[in-house]
Amino acid sequence: MTPARWQALLEEVTLIGGVRGAAVVSAEDGLVVHEAAMDGVATADVAALATALVRRAQSLLQVLGDEVPRMVTLAATRGTLVAVQGKLDLWLVALAEPGAELGRLRLLLGDLAPELG
Amino acid sequence: MRVLEPWLAEPLRELVRESGARVALLMTASGQVLAQHGFTRSLDVMAAAALGSGILATTGELARLVGNEAGFGAVVHQGRQQGVWLAGFDTPRGRWVGLIVFGRGSTTGLVRLFFERFAARIQALAPAPTVVREVLAEGFERELDASLRQLFGTS
Repeated sequence: MTPARWQALLEEVTLIGGVRGAAVVSAEDGLVVHEAAMDGVATADVAALATALVRRAQSLLQVLGDEVPRMVTLAATRGTLVAVQGKLDLWLVALAEPGAELGRLRLLLGDLAPELG
Repeated sequence: MRVLEPWLAEPLRELVRESGARVALLMTASGQVLAQHGFTRSLDVMAAAALGSGILATTGELARLVGNEAGFGAVVHQGRQQGVWLAGFDTPRGRWVGLIVFGRGSTTGLVRLFFERFAARIQALAPAPTVVREVLAEGFERELDASLRQLFGTS
């Protein structure tokens, strides 16, 4: 996938109402591969913490004998983080404000994530 | 964990806890050790400090050669089982260097995030520079022994 395609894909995510930013993140090193975010969103920090969250979820599911997680959602009082697994250990991560269209966001991320890689 | 100055302990403890670091070393740009976590042998600390400050100095020169006068922010060596994060930051007492060794339980991104917070905290907490005392020959051995005892806990 080319950077231009990544950009188009992320812009599609950020068009959803209430989404403050989206990034393609490498779960191997917790670094941003590509991003599209509003000013003030520290995507590098979000990527690092989202990766830590995804890894904890993977460990938890391993203990429970389940499959690896495909989507991780963290709902907080000031926003929601949604991370969806793509290919090559890449994750599509979006950060949304309270009141964002989360249902639509989840569906779109689920549709787009397989295109990563 | 061993620190030369007590105020370094809490920021370093937080860095190690949050980043999942296996080994952490804080030193001056010239390689003088200020704090360490995870080392058991003094020789390893000395070698790591010398090598770390050397690597950072080398990459700084490399950065200048390619026109990046500000130098590189950090140097990362990523291995199969563990990685090394090496970065310098300015403090009121000169440029200091951090060396973090992390395993598969952590990531480069996580170490970067908490190292930046650590550097900001150190910058805020660092006491003003004190007048450097003249190191006299008769006090040198005693001063050196005291520093080593503090760092490695030997009696």
